[in-house]
Amino acid sequence: MVSFELLFPISILAGFVGAIGGMGGGVILIPALTLLGVDIKHAIAISILSVIATSSGSASAYVRDHLTNLKVGMFLEMFTIVGALAGARITIASSSAPLYIIFGLVLLGSWIALFAAGHYSWHEPQTQDAFSRWLELEGSYPDQVLGKTVHYKARRAYFGAPLMFGAGVIAGLLGIGAGAVKVLIHDLVMGLPPKVSTTTSNLIIGVTALAGTSVYLYAGLIEPGLAAPVILGVVIGAFLGTRLLVRLSNQAVRRVFLFILLILAAEMIFRGLRGV
Amino acid sequence: MSVTPSAHPDPGSTSKAEARQFEMDVLVGYILLYGVVLSLLLICAGLIWRLVNTGNLHFDYELSGMNLFQLVATELKQALHAELRPRLFLSLGIAVLMLTPFIRVLASVFYFLGVLKNWKYTLFTSLVLIVLTYSLFLR
Repeated sequence: MVSFELLFPISILAGFVGAIGGMGGGVILIPALTLLGVDIKHAIAISILSVIATSSGSASAYVRDHLTNLKVGMFLEMFTIVGALAGARITIASSSAPLYIIFGLVLLGSWIALFAAGHYSWHEPQTQDAFSRWLELEGSYPDQVLGKTVHYKARRAYFGAPLMFGAGVIAGLLGIGAGAVKVLIHDLVMGLPPKVSTTTSNLIIGVTALAGTSVYLYAGLIEPGLAAPVILGVVIGAFLGTRLLVRLSNQAVRRVFLFILLILAAEMIFRGLRGV
Repeated sequence: MSVTPSAHPDPGSTSKAEARQFEMDVLVGYILLYGVVLSLLLICAGLIWRLVNTGNLHFDYELSGMNLFQLVATELKQALHAELRPRLFLSLGIAVLMLTPFIRVLASVFYFLGVLKNWKYTLFTSLVLIVLTYSLFLR
């Protein structure tokens, strides 16, 4: 078994790098744990448990700042949790090598999403379809940069919902928050303003991770001795990372993070192809 | 009435609905915050106790084939019948962490039902609650 002295700092690092890159700790944590010799299914199970802590921790602040849209979150949760239950069951039934490859591919996908994210800009006026209006998917939030309250309406919920099921499958399957996927759906499909989309995705990630965690717990994949240092470490790292993020230049951070992500993606795919 | 028509909102009822929505934000936010903090404190307590007792932080136990409620029941039973052990705190920390989003959803159901009287979202959050309850009681 991997020692506390090793797990704790690695988890702090994973939470730190994840937060700086604007993602959860999972994408860094799982490759790191497998490199330490933890079986990938155990790594996934522990990661998804720690995702509950990091996402709920940051969601608590965003919700109180009225940035999160609870209705959008609660509507989409119906789909992500079912996806997560399915995804976790697939992982338990699967052998290890395909999990490495899928993980690497999802990292590559996140890499592309992050790379493209810099080129997206939100427009305020929107027409809303009847279904999204029926769902009351609209709101407003105080924008401190613009110095005014921004009103917005979400659209295409009929398309966003099934996509969110897919995001839930990825989260449950790989033990990550899959925040990048969720934000992409919020932004590009449903037309939410960036602040609302990231903070609402954070809220959704918590319950989605819980659904996945329950399956892994029951499958006996959660070892408290491994989980404890990881949860503590990732939360501490994410906390520090978020604090530091405000003071760092965006471009430099993005480049370093994108580089790390690419290396990890290649490494996971390579190990998967080699049969672990 | 919670559903204000978006076309011609009555200013009075809009601000009231908005104020209630704000209250709900605060409630949900604090549930998440206290849940995570309590869980981290329990885990820390377990680790420190273990360190003081044995000089190491090596826990070696698996939770095989137990859902959350069986886990909590087993740990509490052992705490009552045998001696108190650091692992109780570790398991309880994990349990509190898992229950945090669950209680957030539970509170949302009651808020949509009792305060906002929004039947649509009472139904949606209830569905989420049912699926989560099912997953916590897996057997």
